[in-house]
Amino acid sequence: MDIAIYIHIPFCERKCPYCDFNSFSGRQALRTAYVDALCHEMAAVAARGRALGASYAARTLYFGGGTPTLLDPRHFAQLLACAREQFGWHERLETTTEANPGTIDVAYLRALRALGVNRVSLGVQSLDDAMLRRLGRIHDASAAIAAVEACREGGFENLSVDLMYGLPDQDLPHWRRTLEQVAALAPEHLSLYPLTIEPGTPFWRRRESGRLILPPDDDVAEMFEVAEEALKANSFDHYELSNWALGMVHQCQHNLTYWRNQPYVGLGAGAHSSLHLERYHNVESPSDYIRLVGDRADAVASRESIDRNLEMAETLILGLRLADGVRRTAFRDRFGRNLDEVIGDALSRPGLDELIADDGERIALSPRGKLLANEVFVAVLDSSIGGPSVC
Amino acid sequence: MQLFSLSRQNNVYFHSMKQNNIRNFSIIAHIDHGKTTLSDRLLESTGTISEREKADQLLDSMDLEREKGITIKARAVRMSYRSKAGQDYELNLIDTPGHVDFNYEVSRSLAACEGALLVVDAAQGIEAQTLANVYLALEHDLNIIPVVNKIDLPSAEPEKVAQEIEDVIGIPAEEIIFASAKDGTGTDDILEAIVQRIPPPKGSLHQALRALIFDSHYDSYKGVIAYVRVVDGVVRSDDQILMLATGKRTDVLEIGVFRPQMTPVDELAVGEVGYIATGLKNVADSQVGDTITVARDPANEPLPGYRPAKPMVFAGLYPVESSEYNLLRDALEKLRLNDAALIFEPESSIALGFGFRCGFLGLLHMEIVQERLEREYDLDLLTTSPSVEYQVSTTDGKDLVVDNPAALPDAVHIAEIKEPWMKISVVAPSRYVGTIMELVTVRRGEFDKMEYLDTQRVLLTYDVPLSEILVDFYDQLKSRTQGYASLDYVLDDYKAAKLVKLEILVNNQPVDALSLITHVDSAYAKGRELVGKLRKLVPRQLFEVPLQATIGSRVIARETIPAMRKNVLAKCYGGDVTRKRKLLEKQAEGKKRMKRVGNVEIPQEAFMAVLRLGQE
Repeated sequence: MDIAIYIHIPFCERKCPYCDFNSFSGRQALRTAYVDALCHEMAAVAARGRALGASYAARTLYFGGGTPTLLDPRHFAQLLACAREQFGWHERLETTTEANPGTIDVAYLRALRALGVNRVSLGVQSLDDAMLRRLGRIHDASAAIAAVEACREGGFENLSVDLMYGLPDQDLPHWRRTLEQVAALAPEHLSLYPLTIEPGTPFWRRRESGRLILPPDDDVAEMFEVAEEALKANSFDHYELSNWALGMVHQCQHNLTYWRNQPYVGLGAGAHSSLHLERYHNVESPSDYIRLVGDRADAVASRESIDRNLEMAETLILGLRLADGVRRTAFRDRFGRNLDEVIGDALSRPGLDELIADDGERIALSPRGKLLANEVFVAVLDSSIGGPSVC
Repeated sequence: MQLFSLSRQNNVYFHSMKQNNIRNFSIIAHIDHGKTTLSDRLLESTGTISEREKADQLLDSMDLEREKGITIKARAVRMSYRSKAGQDYELNLIDTPGHVDFNYEVSRSLAACEGALLVVDAAQGIEAQTLANVYLALEHDLNIIPVVNKIDLPSAEPEKVAQEIEDVIGIPAEEIIFASAKDGTGTDDILEAIVQRIPPPKGSLHQALRALIFDSHYDSYKGVIAYVRVVDGVVRSDDQILMLATGKRTDVLEIGVFRPQMTPVDELAVGEVGYIATGLKNVADSQVGDTITVARDPANEPLPGYRPAKPMVFAGLYPVESSEYNLLRDALEKLRLNDAALIFEPESSIALGFGFRCGFLGLLHMEIVQERLEREYDLDLLTTSPSVEYQVSTTDGKDLVVDNPAALPDAVHIAEIKEPWMKISVVAPSRYVGTIMELVTVRRGEFDKMEYLDTQRVLLTYDVPLSEILVDFYDQLKSRTQGYASLDYVLDDYKAAKLVKLEILVNNQPVDALSLITHVDSAYAKGRELVGKLRKLVPRQLFEVPLQATIGSRVIARETIPAMRKNVLAKCYGGDVTRKRKLLEKQAEGKKRMKRVGNVEIPQEAFMAVLRLGQE
């Protein structure tokens, strides 16, 4: 059984003020024990799979964070060795690590490449020093550019860059400039995210108290459209709501697993898994995680079982994120149900129909629908398959 | 037989003695001028209640009254008093509601008395309502005992206020009693004055029973308890009684007096004040002002002045949670048991769902009902803009009464609309005349006259359409005069006016809850204001939404809500699926609670906000 494997590294040099991910600064001392725990968890997951009669084969491997590049190459070596030992292994499988430009150099990258890591997702966020400071990043623009060059020199041919837009005081010309600069860096893949203010973060408090003012939604919408246009001109395919790639081969195989609602295992503190019709996640604290894995071989904090209706609803709202959308034949093959019957008239309400592009085989979001995807998703969840069975 | 007639003769003698020693009086006072404290002093001084028994401010027994400092339901208390000359008297204090909405109830309470204490605050002087009630008392030939209260206050100016009373009401200053209900000063003088200056009740024991109902309340065991003043004859606990106005007939369950607890007696005779437990299930069957007589020997003539309770102000009351509709109905039914003036019937609205169209005596009455529903029945309510009752003549010669804008016929079918006008009086320091004048003029008011009460204070009289003072008038008056102005109003007449129905359209569909009847001159401003508010409160939709204010087919104001551009959760990866789905489910839940008008999803809160803004 093919699964995507996600490994969470919850350490950061400094926590960014907009970030609500499960990451902690000042706990690097836990690294070795944490990596040991990860190996322990991998073995336990594989053993449980065998007990269920399933033999897991890794389809992709992804180191996310936090900042995975705070680990030493020897940690990577240990984790990759464990993974190969516990799971079936496809040759040349996509192995990604997220990287903070402030934490890497050519030697380090060369070491990771030699261990089998073949894709880097670089958290650039902006190419404006003042903006990077406001975002609390530990690197400046020249470090970001240097990081791209280092990746190339280190042997990486599949490079993704993360950028943020809708930033405080950002206007369209500023954003256009950023896009031009990033295009000049020629990554194979781009992820663009509007800054979202999450509860509990310093940015949330700043916005509540009026110290942080973001561009109005309509401007952010325009930034999205500008990006779409600019990246199209640079031959990027807009294959998911926030993701662009130079051709199919450079689409992120790991993330496609999520959007296609296929099984994955998340390892590490706070990591989420979706396996055997169940979604579950681990405890968030790295030290609790280490302790629990040691004590009982798992660190699951809570589980939710996914019934058929919910699985269909999730398959739709995840699949519609993709430019490919949801295929009627694929849906029937998976669920034995007719997609149109399942959706009913949920998407036919005035206004909503315009957000959908339907070529008879595929249902996908229309260009306008990409900015209003939630309206479509809400309608799906509100239809007969969402509603009652959802807790 | 002989024994009976003998005792009956004794009774006659006893009654005429007694009648001479009865004094029935009320207290007229502005809010906060000390009526309640003075009442308490009288009750203590006559030993009717002891200090120990005394609940703080006994006469106002409803929480809401205490909080608002007003008396909603009249109460009556019997006191025994031995005068300085050694005579024993029975004093009946009939409390009066303190607000102008209950003007009719006040007039019935006064009609049950021969005298009144006029209590004026030594620091504040006479207020508009006090004056209105004094005139009402004079109309009923009541003897007035003026009391200048709160003379212990540092800011008290008793002499000045006494002069004002002499100048304005024409009561000689030497008749005025200076008192402090707080420390008891003057209480004895007041009690002496009550027996000396107020005449005993007139009326004849030998005539058929005529008892005036001046208040009532509902008791779940004894039915409607009518509060009565016996004007002629006698009522006994085994009588069958008849209400002359409503024609209701019933056996007396119990009669009694308030001491202040309800204390049963065998009979109530001419001049006495007490209660009759009727067993009736509906207070509307024993209306304030009606005359009770004995069924086997009924009086020919009812007592004068009866008027059925007539609501003046109408509004829709809706539960915020539609599931509370039945609770609201039950609560309204319970309130109606004690409130003959409250009327209601079911109505429904596209915007607000199911609710009730209610009629009230006035704005305060509406506010009290609303607050009692929210407080005593724990309901969360939404009230539509209040409306008055319009008299509409149609082009085909029909006359209609319309209290709901939705029921107003098309303009082409209307020959004439008449609206109620009030006579209002305002008492305020003369320096505020300009700002009051401006406020009243903007509300289509017409100046009648201005009189100086003293060198600094004036009494202004205007005619104003009731619809113009329903919303925000009193608050405006108060704020423009730093709280110094006082207001009184009575219904004057119906007058024709150029009135139109203003409708608000969302995506070309009228929103019933927001339509209103207004004077054509203010329609434009109101239309602009309403669509402006909606523009801010209605969330953007997937398509552009026009908002219009119209009169008939004419659009007088327009705004457009641009289509929504962005609603997307940008990030969704493995760890986010459940959390993101829950966020979307929340949005879906929110949508379910939206009201749909012309395909536009509008949160009920938006309607509420518009209605609330309209009332600010």
